[in-house]
Amino acid sequence: MSQSQNRKRTRISAASLAGDRRSRLGLLGSVMLHGLVVATTFFSWQHSLEIADQSPPVVPVDLVTIADKTNIAPEVQQQPKIEPKLDAQTPELKSVPVPKVEMPPQQKAEVVPPPPKQASSEPLVKAKPAPVQPQMRPKPPAAEKKPAKFDVNSVLALLNKQQDQSTSSVHGKTGPQTHKGVGDQSAMTMDLVDALRNQVAQCWSPPVGAPNAADLVVDFDLFLNPDGSVAQPPQLTGGSQARASVSPYTRAAAEAARRAIYECAPYKLPANRYAQWREINPFHFDPRQMMGQ
Amino acid sequence: MKTFALACAAAVAILLGAVAPAAAQLHVDVTQGNIQPLPIAIPDFVGTQPSDAAAAANIASVVRADLERSGLFKPLDPKSFIDQIKSIDSPPQFQDWRIINAQALVTGQVAIQPDGRLRVDFRLWDVYGQTQMLGLQYFTTPEVWRRVAHIISDAIYQRITGEKGYFDTRIVFISETGPALHRVKRLAVMDEDGANPIFLTNGSYMVLTPRFNPTAQMIAYMSYYGNRPRVYLFDLETGRQQMLGNFPNMTFSPRFSPDGNKVIMSLEKDGNSDIYVMDLRNHALTRLTYNPAIDTSPCFSPDGKQITFESDRGGSQQVYVMNADGSDAHRISFGAGRAGTPVWSPRGDLIAFTKIAGGAFRVAVMHPDGSGERVITDGWQDEGPTWAPNGRVLMFTRTLRNGKGDQIWSVDVTGRNERRVVTPGNASDPAWSPLIQ
Repeated sequence: MSQSQNRKRTRISAASLAGDRRSRLGLLGSVMLHGLVVATTFFSWQHSLEIADQSPPVVPVDLVTIADKTNIAPEVQQQPKIEPKLDAQTPELKSVPVPKVEMPPQQKAEVVPPPPKQASSEPLVKAKPAPVQPQMRPKPPAAEKKPAKFDVNSVLALLNKQQDQSTSSVHGKTGPQTHKGVGDQSAMTMDLVDALRNQVAQCWSPPVGAPNAADLVVDFDLFLNPDGSVAQPPQLTGGSQARASVSPYTRAAAEAARRAIYECAPYKLPANRYAQWREINPFHFDPRQMMGQ
Repeated sequence: MKTFALACAAAVAILLGAVAPAAAQLHVDVTQGNIQPLPIAIPDFVGTQPSDAAAAANIASVVRADLERSGLFKPLDPKSFIDQIKSIDSPPQFQDWRIINAQALVTGQVAIQPDGRLRVDFRLWDVYGQTQMLGLQYFTTPEVWRRVAHIISDAIYQRITGEKGYFDTRIVFISETGPALHRVKRLAVMDEDGANPIFLTNGSYMVLTPRFNPTAQMIAYMSYYGNRPRVYLFDLETGRQQMLGNFPNMTFSPRFSPDGNKVIMSLEKDGNSDIYVMDLRNHALTRLTYNPAIDTSPCFSPDGKQITFESDRGGSQQVYVMNADGSDAHRISFGAGRAGTPVWSPRGDLIAFTKIAGGAFRVAVMHPDGSGERVITDGWQDEGPTWAPNGRVLMFTRTLRNGKGDQIWSVDVTGRNERRVVTPGNASDPAWSPLIQ
């Protein structure tokens, strides 16, 4: 073996030793870098999970807020006692030794047809078709005052004047209630439903003396103008029309609800969401809760 | 390429159309309202002649008073009216009535006919709907103008509320005069609004518990005439009185059957009272209860198939129901305290009674099965309820503290509109007649 070959072999050995050292350093660097990437990914992912876990549920909070704000809290008012002044009204008492009862002659009731409409007496408020294009309408006269706020549960409260505490109190306030909305849009329209309900409830005085409260349930289809006024006469729907034609109680209930719809108009609703409240169907009036049935 | 782009645009448009929401319809449930009397405008009726003006104003005044008394209407002050009704044959100026917040309007006209009869026309208008709800015409003699007014009130009440009215009715009651220890009690009758009161007995003997028959022409009552407490019948048309049967012992607490052919009452014997029914056509007497307890205050259901009464057979005074033949008697009042003087509602859905608890007497109602008991008055001593013919209103006797005597009060079945009934002096034991035929 020559000396030059030995030197060459020595250089090769030194080069291989240096190559081994470099590859170990590269491996270590690679492991550390991969560890860093894995650690970064792990901590970043964990942090995002924590954020997701802490996010509050949006919809329930909205519903509770709406109910708290818009549900009608019952109030109780004392029913005033009415005692007539007898001094001026007490009729003279006629003492008759032999009582003689006057029998009036048989009376006939004839139906009087409505008078013909005159051109001069054309009604100011005309029924209009379903509104397609927004129109601005004048507000009704200021003299049309809304009735004073009244206890909405007073009928129930007055249904039992007994002071017996064994039964549930009707004088206490009920807790907040949430109302079931309509389909997928319930969360979006709940505030509109509550706003309409609360406004019309102030004007609605149903004939609660009917023996069967179910006779008083009526449904309407109502179109509103963009200014909240009634666009056209509300129409009975859902079988209410048929029931009103045979039951005087249903007819009276329908007329009371219709009066309420007109009396409380125009309704204060957000103009930019007119498409959502343009038509109310069904506008459902149900006084059974008020009657305790 | 251009065709392909157009096809893609059309597909996107179709997809967008498919996912867009349908036309929005808001669903609103209204379950709470605001019970208020209906604002109604009733201008004086129009007299076709100056001589008719007084009758025209009087009729409108009685109609206003009737409707206001019901608690369901608020007649507006005529001074606030803008539109002056000069004829009922032309439509009213509805906007003038809306301004004063009238929701209903009554216009009427009075005319004396050539034959001396009184002709009264009226129309009921829906102010918001701008339509006529009712139009009727009556002919009668001028002396009975008050009855015509009550009939008009009944028609308006029925049209607005859906149930029959009760203004064209009479009340029979016990008139009380004199000091507490020497009180004179006389049978008396008056119109539902307190007008035309008439004494039927002279007060020389005590009378109690008068009740009308279904035609409002006969009254059954208990009288101590000749110191023999017995049930009598009083014919309002002839003024004739007759004792019902000839029993050796006391008879009391009478009431007619719904068809008017029978009288149900209590008969006392050896300190025990039971319930009997007498057929007025043949005076046949049938005993219905056989119990050593006190059975009294019987009252038929409107269909005549059942009877409610009070009894202490269970140890305390309570309300019971049995079949019309006396079978299947069972207790229905289970609330605190005692219960007595039950009266079945003319529409059958409720039984009114006197509830005695905590030292107080109150008028209460419950369903015929005993459920849904509600106390509807809050006086110190309220008792003896009687129903209006529509089953919506009750009258009862209210006894005042410190011996100040008795008064007649009325209350809506919901417990609202409690008010005193106008009577000449103190009064008790009212009984409401059916609608006058």
